[in-house]
Amino acid sequence: MAMNDADYMLPCGRDVETVWDRLTTVDAGAADEHDLSCPHCAATRDSLCALRSAVDELAAETVEPPSDLVGRIMSAVRADSRRRDMLPLPSQAPNEARISAQAIASVLRFAADTVEGVRARRCKVRQSGSPDSIEVELSIAVSYRGLAAGAYDLVRERVANAVAARIGVRLSRLDIVVADVFDA
Amino acid sequence: MTVLTRTDDGIRVTFRCERCLGICEGMSEEERERMVTQAETVLDDATLVARSRDGDMQSYEALVRRYQGPMYRLALRMLGSSGDAEDAVQEVFLIVWRKLPQLQEDRAFVGWLYRTTTNRCLNVIRARRPQADVELDEHESTNTRTRPEHAAEVSEQMAALGQALTELTPEQRACWLLREVHGRSYDEIAQTLGTTTQAVRGRIARARAQLAEVMAPWR
Repeated sequence: MAMNDADYMLPCGRDVETVWDRLTTVDAGAADEHDLSCPHCAATRDSLCALRSAVDELAAETVEPPSDLVGRIMSAVRADSRRRDMLPLPSQAPNEARISAQAIASVLRFAADTVEGVRARRCKVRQSGSPDSIEVELSIAVSYRGLAAGAYDLVRERVANAVAARIGVRLSRLDIVVADVFDA
Repeated sequence: MTVLTRTDDGIRVTFRCERCLGICEGMSEEERERMVTQAETVLDDATLVARSRDGDMQSYEALVRRYQGPMYRLALRMLGSSGDAEDAVQEVFLIVWRKLPQLQEDRAFVGWLYRTTTNRCLNVIRARRPQADVELDEHESTNTRTRPEHAAEVSEQMAALGQALTELTPEQRACWLLREVHGRSYDEIAQTLGTTTQAVRGRIARARAQLAEVMAPWR
């Protein structure tokens, strides 16, 4: 259906959009002579007000998706993701143990989060020279209100501790990149 | 020592110290206390997006919980069917997960989500065009049947508005919903639909005039 702007021109020469734009002006009591006297504008204004209140109701609508939708989405996401980037763990040959870089990253992000005013963002984990050591590049966001003195050293210390105590490998290199600030 | 357990109800992520595997070592009592308090804060979108890009599914799940509601409501109004809306939202979050590495700017996530959902809905509508009339009626009735409690709450005006929305063209409906209900910017809507802000303003103005006519009985 082709629609023409002229369809919405009122007999008085104003169009619907003009009436809409003037709604707040009229509400505020600053109506002009035409607003007050024109029956076409008045009728359109009433319709638009009815629309506005229905829209408020629509915008406040709280129809929620079914409660199992998150579960369904996450199963699809999990099925879609393959474990990539497996890194070796110290183990006795021929029994090999490996860990995914993602698992290491989530432990290390967690460790960095424990420092006040710091939120870990991206965490890239690579194997360095020997099988029992890793290199990490960690990007963090810092609070511009609540960052403690020595916070970066503390991040370094907590991450290094977590690598040793929770993963069981050595940290040969840790680059910390401040990627953002947050307001909290 | 204690371990840190992480629970995530979608609104906040809580870490609980139960039995530690090392992180707590060397921390004072005060530091541990603060760690637990701090962990209860709501993480911002950009942080969750950055972690999701690294493949962290827990962070992605938090984003899904945060945004499934608005995406579902948009899809429901676009498609007029709860079943189709669920499928569309599920599809959208999977597409977005796959394409996360391509996202240039973490802060652009929500706009991108709206864009993906809108386009997904428009594709669904295009695919079902030929039997659109039959389908809409059918879906309408299913919808009321499955959500009677909701149908009862809705005012007559809003029901009329809902019906009038189905009579707009899908593109007009998308523009109008994104702007008036979801508060997205004209620029973003124009990008979403591959058109100009001028054209978006025009579509919204026409949609508004058409909807206002339907509202006439309630004035």
